[in-house]
Amino acid sequence: MSDQHQNLAIIGHVDHGKSTLVGRLLFETGSVPEHVIEQHREEAEEKGKGGFEFAYVMDNLAEERERGVTIDIAHQEFSTDEYEFTIVDCPGHRDFVKNMITGASQADNAVLVVAADDGVAPQTQEHVFLARTLGIGELIVGVNKMDLVDYGETKYKEVKSEVTDLLNQVQFNTDDAEFIPISAFEGDNIAERSDNTEWYDGEILIEALNNLPEPEPPTDAPLRLPIQDVYTISGIGTVPVGRIETGIMNIGDNVSFQPSDVGGEVKTIEMHHEEVPKAEPGDNVGFNVRGIGKDDIRRGDVCGPAESPPSVAETFQAQIVVMQHPSVITAGYTPVFHAHTAQVACTIESLDKKMDPSSGEVAEENPDFIQTGDAAVVTVRPQKPLSIEPSSEIPELGSFAVRDMGQTIAAGKVLSVENRE
Amino acid sequence: MGKVAAKIKVMPQSPEIDLDDLQDRLEDSLPEGAKINGVERDDVAFGLVALLPTVIVPDDAGGTEAVEEGFAEVEGVESISVESVGRI
Repeated sequence: MSDQHQNLAIIGHVDHGKSTLVGRLLFETGSVPEHVIEQHREEAEEKGKGGFEFAYVMDNLAEERERGVTIDIAHQEFSTDEYEFTIVDCPGHRDFVKNMITGASQADNAVLVVAADDGVAPQTQEHVFLARTLGIGELIVGVNKMDLVDYGETKYKEVKSEVTDLLNQVQFNTDDAEFIPISAFEGDNIAERSDNTEWYDGEILIEALNNLPEPEPPTDAPLRLPIQDVYTISGIGTVPVGRIETGIMNIGDNVSFQPSDVGGEVKTIEMHHEEVPKAEPGDNVGFNVRGIGKDDIRRGDVCGPAESPPSVAETFQAQIVVMQHPSVITAGYTPVFHAHTAQVACTIESLDKKMDPSSGEVAEENPDFIQTGDAAVVTVRPQKPLSIEPSSEIPELGSFAVRDMGQTIAAGKVLSVENRE
Repeated sequence: MGKVAAKIKVMPQSPEIDLDDLQDRLEDSLPEGAKINGVERDDVAFGLVALLPTVIVPDDAGGTEAVEEGFAEVEGVESISVESVGRI
């Protein structure tokens, strides 16, 4: 057992077996007590649902959690020899995408579940793009429901090639993807090598999970701390509060707040009501900066080192995927962009390229419009100053959700930033 | 579609806000269909304490928007942010 921790997203199309796989992983790693499994198995059989025990167990556990007084979202945990995993089970509805982009619990790596009898389906595509946007490192592709295709190698290769095409399309490095033929339902190639797939000699799921790279906290990047709130505390003065996304903040550092464009020296840092000399990625802190008043800075500002201040975009180019829009998006459209703690109206100034979903190549230069399901490269002009970073440099500050009419219209990542003078 | 649990971070306007009262007001602001399932408290800094209610909403209810809007209107609330979401 290890105390190394990983957040693992389970993604894939609805009904491709995500819950069953989660149940199977919890079961095989001994994370669900045997008597609980037994009890539910008996109930399932009584109700004529024998065989669906894992999904059934999952449903029941969910009900029990809901009945309980407290509920911890990080409830689905299991350990392998190398890691302690917390499962981030993505909600099906698109409106939760904003939360996944701006939320705290981002996944390090992901398991993509694709049913062998169905292949790549709409949500497979959407989730893979989101995984890419949200900065998922490695992807384990479980080609699931192999039992339904008689464990046929031909079918497996077909699905593998479909998924490889999809990954190439969103420029996901396929060297970072491991394909495994599995049946979550029957337990093939999950914790033990299956006799049903003798043609397969690659890693089984548990091995692939053990071989994931250790997540590295982004301490090498420059400090980026999006400001959540600004307080005036008696006896202290102005106290900005927020979560450090990248880098380290030390007492005595000279910092800069952008786009408000003010700065000063960090006098004190507090975390959990205790004074600390420095704070790291993931830490929620309040701090005090010499010479900064409450009205000098605001929510949506990003704090960074004075010598490497946060970028402020005059315009930026981004890759987006349109998730839902009732009509079409044309140049001039001005929805609200949600990036870290900022919410700023931004005009999509030009549609630069539309991608062909089947090949990933540029299908059209300067298209007249884009619509639901399209992936495109666009140039964006914030209507108020916005601090945002190229995703290739600081991924934590490089993704955003686009909202309008109470819906998440699109999600995207920043390719390049034209800095404001 | 199942249900979704969202952990929402509620920052009070100042360290002087009574958190028990604030918690009651949050409860009263919930839209229909949503419920609070436990509230944690997190010491932030300089006397500020965040409330972290876990709110259960149906997966098909269109996200946490309605809950967030309700919370944002509550007296004594400085800001709302969704910390994490997960299916239950």
